[in-house]
Amino acid sequence: MRLLIAMLSCLALVAGAAEPMRPDMPMKGEMKKDGMKRGDVKKAAQKKQREMKEMMEREAKGKFR
Amino acid sequence: MKIPQNLERRLFLKQGLSLGALTLLSGCDVTNADAVQQVLSAMSRWNDGAQGWLFNPTKLAREYPESAITKPFPFNAFYTKEEAPQIDPQSYRLELSGLIGERRAWSLPELYALPQTSQITRHICVEGWSAIGKWGGVRFSTFLERVGADRTAKFVGFRCADDYYTSIDMATALHPQTLLTFRFGGELLPVEYGFPMKLRMPTKLGFKNPKHIAAIFVTNMYPGGYWEDQGYNWFSGS
Repeated sequence: MRLLIAMLSCLALVAGAAEPMRPDMPMKGEMKKDGMKRGDVKKAAQKKQREMKEMMEREAKGKFR
Repeated sequence: MKIPQNLERRLFLKQGLSLGALTLLSGCDVTNADAVQQVLSAMSRWNDGAQGWLFNPTKLAREYPESAITKPFPFNAFYTKEEAPQIDPQSYRLELSGLIGERRAWSLPELYALPQTSQITRHICVEGWSAIGKWGGVRFSTFLERVGADRTAKFVGFRCADDYYTSIDMATALHPQTLLTFRFGGELLPVEYGFPMKLRMPTKLGFKNPKHIAAIFVTNMYPGGYWEDQGYNWFSGS
């Protein structure tokens, strides 16, 4: 019985390790601050791209006509 | 009655220390205040300027023999190794935008056809560890010249397939050891180390070296970066 429980626990661990990270899961690595989530980077990237896009297009038109 | 000069000095120091202690005591409130954050950000930008001014564009980082290579080379990201983006090499195209004359997309065979070089250098992480690896690819200065980038512009930015983004100064972009790399340890760049390409700069901390690059742009507008926008120093180099 103990052996069966140990085997099931191992299987659960392996399955857990392979499970993809959800956006609301805590970020990996040591650079993160408290509360940072996996999905924060995508949200920040989208916001940054919106902010930069129009300004950069204007800038490029001025430089390379 | 005349107060001795050294007593006045002592009083000034004492009051100064008291003010400092008060600031520390109320530290939690002070550090959360927007005004304080703005001051700290301004100081960090000033620090960027000073680092940029001190940066020597011709000084080379140390290179190492093959025997010094770290095995296994550590994996580090904000996600697990299994989640590193899988990119199809056939359909992959590197997008270019901003102050670049020839803004067409580049395929991998076109990038591999550029003159290649390699380096064995130390990757230094802001987390406190370092590792030596061998990277191969094209000098970034060669690539920027080839695509007609405005090399007088201030910044080069990167958007990556794992959503990460960062930017660097043009002086570092043109540094002879800054490589757009496609190979690691003599093999095609593995997925966990940034396939299909990683910008390798031995003059900057690891988080400034983007992996899985999907787009490159040149601009005079400060683009920041993910970690940089969270308060990490933008220049982060020597």
